[in-house]
Amino acid sequence: MFSAIFSMMIFPGFLFLAVLSFLGEFIDRKIYARLQNRVGPPWFQPVADFIKLLGKQEIIPSEANPTMFKMAPLFAAASVVTAFFYIPLWTPEALYSFNGDILVVLYLLTIPTLSFFIGGWYSTSLYARIGTVRSLTQLFAYEVPLFMGILSSALLANTWSLTKIAEFYVIHPWLWLMNLGGFVISLIALLGKLEKTPFDIPEAETEIVAGGFTEYSGKLLAFLKLTLNIEMIVGAALLSAVFLPFALTYNSFLDFVIFLVKLLSIIFLISLARTIVARLRIDQMINFCWKYLVPLAMMQLLLNLAVKGVMIK
Amino acid sequence: MEQNIMQNLVKEFNFLEGNITQPRERRIFLRVGLDKFTNVLDYLMKHFNFTHLCTITGLDEGENLSFIYHLTKEGGILINIKVSVPKENPVIKSIIPYFAGAEIYERELVDLFGAKVEGLPQGNRYPLTDDWPVGQFPLRKDWKQEMLDKKAGENA
Amino acid sequence: MHNSSEEFKIPIGPQHPALKEPESFSVALRGEKILGVEIRLGYNHRGIEKACEERTYIQDMYLIERVCGICSHSHSTCFVQAVEEIAGLAVPRRALYIRTLVAELERIHSHLLWLGVAGHEIGFDTLLMYTWRDREIVMDILAELTGNRVNYGINTIGGVRRDISSIQIQETLKAMDLLEERTKYYIELGLGETTLIKRLSGVGVLSYDDALHFDAVGPTARASGVKRDVRKDDPYASYGEISFDVITDTGADVYARTIVRLKELMEAYKIVRQCLKNLPDGPITVRAPRKIPVGEALSRYEAPRGEDVHYVKSNGTERPERVKVRAPTLANVQAVKHMLKDRFLADMPIVIAAIDPCFSCTDRLVSLEQDNRGQENLMTWQALHDYSIKWHSKRGVDFGKLNKKLQERLSKY
Repeated sequence: MFSAIFSMMIFPGFLFLAVLSFLGEFIDRKIYARLQNRVGPPWFQPVADFIKLLGKQEIIPSEANPTMFKMAPLFAAASVVTAFFYIPLWTPEALYSFNGDILVVLYLLTIPTLSFFIGGWYSTSLYARIGTVRSLTQLFAYEVPLFMGILSSALLANTWSLTKIAEFYVIHPWLWLMNLGGFVISLIALLGKLEKTPFDIPEAETEIVAGGFTEYSGKLLAFLKLTLNIEMIVGAALLSAVFLPFALTYNSFLDFVIFLVKLLSIIFLISLARTIVARLRIDQMINFCWKYLVPLAMMQLLLNLAVKGVMIK
Repeated sequence: MEQNIMQNLVKEFNFLEGNITQPRERRIFLRVGLDKFTNVLDYLMKHFNFTHLCTITGLDEGENLSFIYHLTKEGGILINIKVSVPKENPVIKSIIPYFAGAEIYERELVDLFGAKVEGLPQGNRYPLTDDWPVGQFPLRKDWKQEMLDKKAGENA
Repeated sequence: MHNSSEEFKIPIGPQHPALKEPESFSVALRGEKILGVEIRLGYNHRGIEKACEERTYIQDMYLIERVCGICSHSHSTCFVQAVEEIAGLAVPRRALYIRTLVAELERIHSHLLWLGVAGHEIGFDTLLMYTWRDREIVMDILAELTGNRVNYGINTIGGVRRDISSIQIQETLKAMDLLEERTKYYIELGLGETTLIKRLSGVGVLSYDDALHFDAVGPTARASGVKRDVRKDDPYASYGEISFDVITDTGADVYARTIVRLKELMEAYKIVRQCLKNLPDGPITVRAPRKIPVGEALSRYEAPRGEDVHYVKSNGTERPERVKVRAPTLANVQAVKHMLKDRFLADMPIVIAAIDPCFSCTDRLVSLEQDNRGQENLMTWQALHDYSIKWHSKRGVDFGKLNKKLQERLSKY
């Protein structure tokens, strides 16, 4: 009982995730800054921002539904942290697993978008309404290629459990190379999920202020930002578990370092994408997802089916 | 070219004789009455292709308010048409049918000089605030800053 | 996309992240589609035109320079030209060349600034960081030549106030080489980066006829194929003696405007080099009378954003009878409404930005030097200090204790 609470709240649960997310945010901001020829923030900047926001006045619009407005970030945080427990990190085994947990993780990762929608919608700001409608529209575009990409890897491993997937790739160490296409597709789709440029359409600063987050302030905003960063870490961890299951040495310290390297490499790719492209328009984003990403993901699925056929023979 | 335009203008509109000057190359100044203004404008646009309106300047000349329409064409010749109207009843016609871009310049004349522009569509005022005291036109010579302060002080 | 039939209006401004200046656009939307736009200007109205009538010509020159923070040289040159025309002053050639030089440097800094802002509006912040870094090169040169980064104060009635030395010429030439190389990179980037092209092309279309109809000026008009450039049409300063091309494009969209500005940067480097090479010797100023004879003049100037028009009327005293300023944004802003109709909300910031709006320029006029409205609102520093102490102690903050602590700490040192 105690160890369960410890693993949920401290390690590798909420607190560990929070620390990791601050690290992730720092890396993201620093890389973004360095690539843009800026100095970038010091390492403690994300923590300082968080603490500062905690001390700020919290304003809830009088028109807003206060319960929904306050609960939305909580729902989001709870679901991403829960998703994290099912993802194998530096060992092939996740904290919890059962056959079918891959679907649970994918759906848990959809909940933040929905809860941000609810929070934004109930804040009654016009900018928030446009932003939240955009994020839902976007959801239908990136979710399909993301699912297809991740499931193609599961298909090859012939299991619906993330832990089993990891075990499969430990036995077949080079097969992960088959999924590289799926990795790229999922990474692009993940940009949509995390609402990062070029898919930061729902919070396009120059058009709709901050989209669904416009009315959030103080503690709630701090919590929201933390959730977004945790979401980034969880998303990156998911990709690294599904697509980069190599170099497991069963030396827990070394494996932990390798895991961190994988995680930060994915964050680096996200920052890189953010640096080199402009924001798309919502119609362009949907076109891109359905016209290019989905067919590519289908090809990956077919490829994996073929490979699996060969393996069974 | 400037000479040509001036000669043609005088030929077409006799009343311009003596009311047209050329202070330097590419600049022509002329004065017309309000009744003939649109005719001159039509003529210049049709025959000399003056298709660009730079701006409209308002002037307070004591008894009268004058408005100068600065038109230009490719090649840089600029023609300044001055129209005067009495200050008591400064009514001019809108030139939006000729130049769509004139709208904001005309709103400026309304706000700052108190011109009454016929044919100006409804819309936001420019550039003064919505609670600007009625009947105060800051660019008229008789307007002093104290008038505004006094008015605002009374309201406060 | 969203077929909600619900129509609603969202305010873009007077305070909005897309606009760095206070202007209000009220956008009627159906889903993401813009049905109509209402523009409310005037928030930056400072009464400069009226203030000019109460000051001398020299004071006005400095005041006019502060119409805008970016194209300050444009306004001051335009005003000075009108005054010189009335006074019949023959400005020395060297002064004209220096004016042209500063004008083009200003164009470079303004266009680089625009490029960065455009990048920001479409969520491409890297472009903003890069161009603004490079913009510092030209800002440094401007500071070196004139003493100021903005509001250069180089003009005076009858010439310019500062001469340039051969060392400065060398430095400027070096900077031009560097900037040219960077600009080539941006042109390459502009022609190659997919998301940039996707976001800019086909957006904010203003056809040739519409550009004429709405009296568009500057790069906005030139990107629609209207060959309108005061530097060529109505040469001022030393533009008559310098060879350069008027850049036009037939794309008529935001992308075309970007390309026009980028190519204009290349032309600007060319002009700067020519100015420096052919810089004539001689005095830089002639003596101007304090009282300007009766007359009127209209001066035009190709500011980075387009045609700037100043009308000056003098009455024989040391103060002008009337000064009228028409900044380029005012001419272009009217076309924006047309460009935005039936477009997406996402295009709004970039379409507005594409005319390179400068609303401070646009609004001028009624200054309140000493605001007498409601004496109690005017607070001295001491009064404000006392008020804040009262405010805090009412809420339980005891400054006595804090002060004591502070004194104790200080006494230790």
